[in-house]
Formats: sequence, C-alpha cells, structure tokens
Amino acid sequence: MILSTRSLKTMLLGALALSPLAQAEDAIKIAVVGPITGPVAQYGEMQMIGAKMAIEQINAQGGVIGKQLEYMPMDDVCEPKQAVAVANQVVNDGIKFVVGHLCSGSTQPASDIYDDEGVVMITPASTNPSITQRGLKMVFRTIGTDDQQGPVAGKYIAEHIKPKQMAIIHDKQQYGQGIAEEVKKTVEAAGVNVVLFEGVNKGQTDFSALITKLKQANVDFVYYGGYHPELGLILRQSKEQGFDAGFMGPEGVGNKAISEIAGPASEGLLVTLPADFSTNPANADLVKAFKDKGEDPSGPFVMPSYAAVQVIADAIKEVGAPDAEKVAEAMHKGTYETPIGKISFKENGDLSEFEFVVFTWHADGSKTPAQ
Amino acid sequence: MSETSLVLLQQVINGLTLGSIYALIAIGYTMVYGIIGMINFAHGEVYMIGAYVGLLVITALGLLGITSVPVILLLTLAVCILVTSVFGWTLERVAYRPLRGNPRLVALISAIGMSIFLQNYVQIGQGARDVAMQPLVSGGWRFGPANGFQVYLSYMQVLIAVTTVLFMTLLTLFIARSRMGRACRACAQDLDMANLLGIDTDRVISLTFVLGAGLAAVAGVLVGLYYGLINPFIGFIAGIKAFTAAVLGGIGSIPGAMLGGLVLGLAESFTSAYLSTEYKDVVAFLLLVFVLLFRPTGLLGKPDVEKV
Amino acid sequence: MDELLRRHLPESVVMALVTAVLTIPILGVRIHIENLQVTLEGDGTPVYIAMAVVFLVRLFRAPLSQITGMVRIDRLLPSSDWLTRYRTGLLAAMIVLALIWPFVASRGAVDIATLALIYVMLGLGLNIVVGFAGLLDLGYVAFYAVGAYSYALLNQHFGLSFWECLPISIVLAGATGCLLGFPVLRLRGDYLAIVTLGFGEIIRLLLNNLDELTGGPDGIGNIPKPTLFGLEFARRASTEGGVTFHDFFGLRYDGADTIIFLYLIALLLALFTLFVSNRLLRMPVGRAWEALREDEIACRSLGLNPTLIKLSAFSLGASFGGMAGAFFAARQGFINPESFTFIESAIVLAIVVLGGMGSQLGVILAAVALTALPEVARQFDEYRMLIFGLIMVLMMIWRPQGLLPATRPRMELPQ
Repeated sequence: MILSTRSLKTMLLGALALSPLAQAEDAIKIAVVGPITGPVAQYGEMQMIGAKMAIEQINAQGGVIGKQLEYMPMDDVCEPKQAVAVANQVVNDGIKFVVGHLCSGSTQPASDIYDDEGVVMITPASTNPSITQRGLKMVFRTIGTDDQQGPVAGKYIAEHIKPKQMAIIHDKQQYGQGIAEEVKKTVEAAGVNVVLFEGVNKGQTDFSALITKLKQANVDFVYYGGYHPELGLILRQSKEQGFDAGFMGPEGVGNKAISEIAGPASEGLLVTLPADFSTNPANADLVKAFKDKGEDPSGPFVMPSYAAVQVIADAIKEVGAPDAEKVAEAMHKGTYETPIGKISFKENGDLSEFEFVVFTWHADGSKTPAQ
Repeated sequence: MSETSLVLLQQVINGLTLGSIYALIAIGYTMVYGIIGMINFAHGEVYMIGAYVGLLVITALGLLGITSVPVILLLTLAVCILVTSVFGWTLERVAYRPLRGNPRLVALISAIGMSIFLQNYVQIGQGARDVAMQPLVSGGWRFGPANGFQVYLSYMQVLIAVTTVLFMTLLTLFIARSRMGRACRACAQDLDMANLLGIDTDRVISLTFVLGAGLAAVAGVLVGLYYGLINPFIGFIAGIKAFTAAVLGGIGSIPGAMLGGLVLGLAESFTSAYLSTEYKDVVAFLLLVFVLLFRPTGLLGKPDVEKV
Repeated sequence: MDELLRRHLPESVVMALVTAVLTIPILGVRIHIENLQVTLEGDGTPVYIAMAVVFLVRLFRAPLSQITGMVRIDRLLPSSDWLTRYRTGLLAAMIVLALIWPFVASRGAVDIATLALIYVMLGLGLNIVVGFAGLLDLGYVAFYAVGAYSYALLNQHFGLSFWECLPISIVLAGATGCLLGFPVLRLRGDYLAIVTLGFGEIIRLLLNNLDELTGGPDGIGNIPKPTLFGLEFARRASTEGGVTFHDFFGLRYDGADTIIFLYLIALLLALFTLFVSNRLLRMPVGRAWEALREDEIACRSLGLNPTLIKLSAFSLGASFGGMAGAFFAARQGFINPESFTFIESAIVLAIVVLGGMGSQLGVILAAVALTALPEVARQFDEYRMLIFGLIMVLMMIWRPQGLLPATRPRMELPQ
C-alpha cells in the first residue's frame, strides 16, 4: 500500500482531533497582497483602496453569481521571504484569487507558488518583464511593463527633445534600473549621446554631488528611472544649484507627491504614464466615490487594482463558478471593460495593449499631455 | 580658477554640508557611548522625530500667519529641542535605565527594539508616506564665470554649517566649563568612582541623553528644511551613517564626532563626483574599515589600555 | 492612602505631562496634505487616553506593584538548574514535535515553520560567534547572502544541484568569514560590531551593484528546489526526461508535498547545525572560545592564540550562515539583494540574545517565537512591528539573560 502524505496527514489529523471545523463559506475571497507596513506602505495603500473600492461596488450591486466578494488584505511588507509565506498562507486558506503583489521582487517568488497551486494572480503594480516571461498560466497583470514603457520614453526623447548630452539615472532597484536600461537602449539606437548612466541609492537624500557632476558634464537632459521621492529631491536640489536640464521619469514618479517635494522645480517634468484614468470622463463617478471616502484615486496603482478585481469578477461571471483554472482560461480569451480601458490579455498574462502617454507635469501637481 | 578647481570647490561644499549634519547626529552617539559605553541604536529615530516635530511647528506657525524667517527658525528649533529632549529622557528611563549593569548586548537589543518601536509609532501616527517641507530659506551666492561652471553656496548650507559650529562650540564650552559638564567628564572616566564621589550619575546620564536628543532635533530640522523630505524611515539610514561617523572620529570624543562627520561627508561627496554614486556607501564603509585597521580607536579616540 | 496619594500625585502629574509631549506631535496632531497644501489635523483622544493611563498607573503604582509583584515574569520561566536537568528531555520533545508538525499542521503553518527553521540555523550559527566566542557581529547577513548567491550562481552557470552546492556554499561562506575576519578580529567589542555592520552593507551593495555577476537588483530567478535522490517536487518535470516525485510513487500531485519536503530538509539541516555546534562546544576549540569570551588576557597568558580562536569561531559561524542561505535560495526560488538587509542581521542577533546567549535551546525557542510572532500578530496588521519592538524591549527589562539562559560550566569549592 502506498501512503500518500495527504492520507497520512488525514489519519494523523483524525487521530489527534486537530481537524479544523469545515467552514461553510459562501463568499468568494479575494486576497489583496501588498505592503501594508514598511517603507513602501504608501504604494500598498493605493493598491488596497483600489481593490477595496471595486469589491465594495461589486458587492453593492449584488456580488457575482449570487455570492459576495470578500476583501482579504494581506501584508507582505514587500519582503521576498514574507511574500512566499503569504502566498503559502493564501493557498492554505483556500483563497483562489489574488490581487498583488506590489514589488516585483515579491511578486516573482510568490507567483511560482500561485501558478503551481492553481491560484489566479493579477498584479496591478509589478512592471518587471521577467515575471510573465516564465510561461506561467495563472499569472496576469493589469499594468504595463518596463519594456513597453521604456521605448515610449526613449522614442519621445530621441524625436522631440534631441538632447546633446543626456544622462540616465536610476535608483538601483529592479523597477528603476530595468526601465532606465530600456530607455538607454532606445535612445542609443536613435543616436542620442548618453554621457552618464549611474545608480543612486534608494532612500538617499543628498544628491548635490551628483548634480554638480551633471552640471560639469553639461548634461541637458536627464532621464530618471525610479520613484518620486528621489526624483523630487533631485529636481529640488538641481534648481537650487542652478542646474536647469530637462527631466523625465516613468509612472513611478507621476504622483502628486513629487510636486509637494519639488515645488516649482517639478514644472515641466516629463512623465510617461498610463493614460490618466482618474481624469477620464468615463470614470467620473468612480473618482467621486473615492473622493467621497476621502481617498485619492490618482495614484498609479489605484485604478489598475480596481481593474484587477473587476476582471476577476467578470471572469467568474463568465465561467459561472469560482473555479480558478477555468477563470484563468477565460481571462486569457476575454475582453473586459474596466476603468483602465478595454483590456485583454496576451498568452503570457501581460495586457495585450497598454498605452503609455507622455505628460508634462506642472508645479501644482496637475499634468497635461505633452505635444 | 579653472573649471576643475571650481568643481572641486563645489564638491567640497557639498561634502561639508552633508558632513555637518552627520556630525550633529553623531554627537548623540558619541556622548552616550562615552559615558555608559552603550550604542544607542534608537538615536536615529530621535532625529527623525525631530524632523517631524519641526515640520509640525513650521506648518502651525505658517497657519498662524507668522512669516518672519528668524522667528520661525528659532521657535521651531526651541520646540523641537524641547520635545526630543523629552523623548531622549524617556528613552533612557524606560528602555535603558532598568538594564544598567547587564551585559552590553542586552542594552543594544533593547535599543534596536526601541528603534523599531519608534519607527512604527510615528508610522501609525503620521502615516508611512513621505511628507515634504517647503524651503524656508532659499537663495544663495554664486561664484565663477558667467558662462561657465558656477559654484553655488546657498544660504541654507551656510546656515547648516553655522548652526553646527555654534552648537558644537556651546556643547564643548558646556562640557569644559560648567559644573554639570565636569560631572559628565568624571562619569566618562569612571562611572563608579564618580558615583562614589557624590556625583548623581543618574542625572548625568539623563542629561547626556537629553543633550544628544536635542542636537539630533537640530539636525532633524535642518535636514527637513534643506532636503525637504521626511518619512518615518529616514532615521535608520542617517543613524547608521552618523554612528559610522562617530566611530570613524573615535567614539567618545566630541571633536572626533565632528571630524568623523566631515570626513564621511567629504568621502561620500567625492565618491559620487569622481567614481559613481552607487558606490558612495561602499566607499564610506570601506573608509571606516581602513581607518579602524590602522587606528583601532578612530581618528581622535584615545587608545584604551587593557586593565587586568 | 492619603499620604500615598500626596507623595505620588505630583510625580504622576509630571509623568502625564511628559506623556502629552510624547504623544501630541505624533498622535495628537497629524500632517494632512491635500492639493499640495499642508494642513494639520488635531485629534485629542489618543493623547488624553495615553495621559490618563500613565497618570493612573503612576499614581497607583504602589498597590499595582504589589499585585504584579506576585506574578513575576522571570519566575514563570524556568531557571537554569531546571534546564540542565531536563535539557535532553526537552530537546527530544522538541525534535519529536518538529517531526510530526508537517503532518498535523496546515500548509501555511508548515511553511512558517520552515522559515523558523532557517532562523534556527542562522541563530545557532551566530550563537557560535556571539554566544560562545563573545564577538559582537552585526553583519551576519553577509554570510547568509554569500551562501544564497553561491547556490544560485553555481546552479545558473554550471547547473549544479542543491545537494552539490550545499557543501560549496558552506565552504565559500566560511572562507568569506575567514577573509573578512582576518583583518578585523583584532578590533575590540564595539568597534568590531560596527565594522561587521559595514561589511554586511558592503556585501549587499556589491551584490546590488555588480550587475553582470549577480544580476543586480533583478536578482536571480528560477532557482530549483532540492530533489530527493533526483526526484523533483513539481507538477511537471523541469527537464526533458526528468522524473517527479509523485510520478515515481504513483501519487496524485499535491503542492503541499513540496512544502513538507522543504520543511524536512530544513529540519535536517537545523539538526545538523545543532549537533555540530553542540559537539564543537565540547571540543578544545569550543572551550577556548568560552575561555576567550570570559577573559582574553588570561587566555593569552595561557598560550592560546586569540586571533586563531576568534577566526575559527567567526568562520564556523559564517559557514552555518552560508548553509542557511543556500537553503533560503532554494525555498524562495528567487533571490535579490533586498533579502539581505541589515534588519535581517538585527533579527538574528535578537534571536540569539532573546534566547539567552550561548544557550542552544533558548536560541531555538527564540527563533520560533520571533518568526511566529509576526504571523500571530498579523491580525493587528499595522501594530505588528510596534508590538515586535516593544516585546524586544520588555524582554530585555524583565529577563535580560534570555528566555532560557545558558548554563555555564562551573565548579564549587567545598566549604
């Protein structure tokens, strides 16, 4: 007789009478995993409010296939080891749908587990291309990737800015460096002279030495791959030192906070962003719903999180049951109407189309499409 | 001057400004270490709290309609020093005093615990997001050719340097001249002996924490104004750097903390300038390792004699 | 009673005011940013609550301490004599519990236990350095990283399996320990601490900056899990012609098997660490570590070479760190420098100190407690780390010698 570990486990469970009571659970649980605590908690919050709003609105309309959705926030602190623990917890709790994780470094190890265990995972925030390049069937994302965004920025620089001496700075993180490398590839192919490609440290506050160096090298345009705190400081300190090159960054910097940090220095900054969902008239009601709750819908991950929940709900409706494998299959085929537009997924789980637009940022935190 | 030397001058200015801030924080480490031989790991958090209080006070004054910059600065510094002093005092009473007499590691763990606690306390109260502070003092002087590289020295940088030197001088005078200062020095030499001779060592230790916390608050306010970005996690990085500066200069020595801070600031600045920014922390720590290899007690530290 | 109040009242008022100063700027007044305008929002409630609590506790501290005096925390925990007597029994009970754990606990719990076992390995490894030899190492994470990257890189470039890489990782981490230890071990206590901290950071920054070698911030992915004599634990075999565990035994695929298998390997490695460090302590070199910790000068006068002894402790401790690292890489399947920050070193150090320096049993318990605590406190979400920090402080105040203090070999002179 071959004893599987599972049956051995059941026997022992019976023997030790430790078996948890079977729960009559009717709601469909959706785990929303991201950093609730820790240094990047502010991005996690964007994800949480977006997903929560979607779940509340769907429930208010009667849920899906007669069942309510249950919001299960989980904290991975953006630490890879916690991410694996949370993923196992999700599998353990029998949750079949995950919106998350946020940091690419956490998403990657966790996605292996979800895929292996047949859990649908949609990340609304991890943009690193490698996540979906490993042939996983259950892993999706509702955000563009670095290799979609980088070329958009690079092309814009080469065609419209035509800098004489360009510098590319990044924050030595998976996201920032990845996108900076994409930009570098694109602009160099177009013949732009990149005189400096350099990393800074995350959490660094003093950039004066770097700015002096840029000033000395007569750099007239800077691309920054990373998030808004560091770029905000760079802008502010550049203005102070009288270094007046043009600046550009990815969606990680396209956040009102950059104007809070850099003040007037953020005027004229170029940002590649997903088309702005919160100013889209079609989303006016949704934006109002966020504002009524005192939440900010303009963060880059809010609408993608909302969309992720919505896609899951719609796909469940299509299948007619919360069966993760079938839902994933349906998602690969279907097209969904969401606040981030009409979306469908490629074979690898990436969005088949995700449009990045170049915006000009203004000192009051608003943005207008660049010409 | 040629362009290269102008650039060099600018980098020296950049480095000295950064170094002054490290020095202010480093003093807190060095004083506590000098007297009770303990690494106060939570000191960086006190600096972070100082920056938050500074932002609160400046905003409050702004809402009250006070616009005079010197008044705002002085009031902010006063309030911040007061509040963080209370933090420093409480920290010592709650987390360190009950542990006195235990092995050093015990106090170190307690300090690491306190550091985690304070970080999260502020995070719960004020949120994890970055908060920005608008510059209060802007503008500066420019030197150099009109069409070439211009050296820029901002008023804020001068303010930082002047404040640092001012507080250092005050502290040094206090330690050298006042009664309490003499008691401090006595405690640094031999805590038990000082106690036997009638010095209230508990008070001296409290005072050390209060002074260190006050200086950290000054650093916090200056950093808030100069860089304009604070979050609950700034204390950790600044703390490690300042601690490195304190050890580099010779822990326990106040001029050493100043020197260590400046050397560290310059080293970071030059690495960014002539090597690569991503290696500036590597160079900072390597510098520490090499200094300690050749001068095991730091630049200005007294060589300690092992007693049997 | 009146007299009591009169004596404590002024002090209580002062303490309540101090509390006000501590809470107003953090909890009482909050920064609120809307449309680039910074405003302040006042909320007195938490401040009043905190003040009231502190006031009452200080005012009635005499009667309170009578009550709490009866329940002394340190009396609740076993004394060291008790431990010496039942040590073997306790250890056996723990090992038995660890062995049945994967078959009774849920998948999530087994995974957490695996994480706990990684910390047991790290804790026992650092215990050699800090507990036995008394060298304060704040950069232990460096060796953990070396172990993890050794496995990941050797696997990626040369296709070596986990079992082939494990000894190599151990040796490489030990060698790194030797290399780093050699120049710094002549430094004294706290200087040693800061230099090791520096080395920890240098290693992490190098991993992040040497993109060609380590993949930089992208890290290294697709690290295979360990195999059981060549049998893979996966839904599908990764290589052409590979055989998976469930195919070989004709079982239905169950993802939990992988988790349990990983757990058992972790248990094996942790037991190995425990066994080796236990034996080492009873060897001349272990005795020399303890002697050195107690009195370096006396050691030197007895002809022991302090540098060599310290170096042996440092590099042996490092090798166990490397072993834990290699296993960590296998469990994660993906590593990047984010996993090897200073806070990791701090947690491992906290495990050693909380458990009781030099006490292996204590270190094991502390590792389990510290890994489980954040999980247990997960419901409290944002208060989790706050509680974690608080417990570290309170533990040190109430029980500075650690949960289960180590027993020092001693001999009493006859009266």
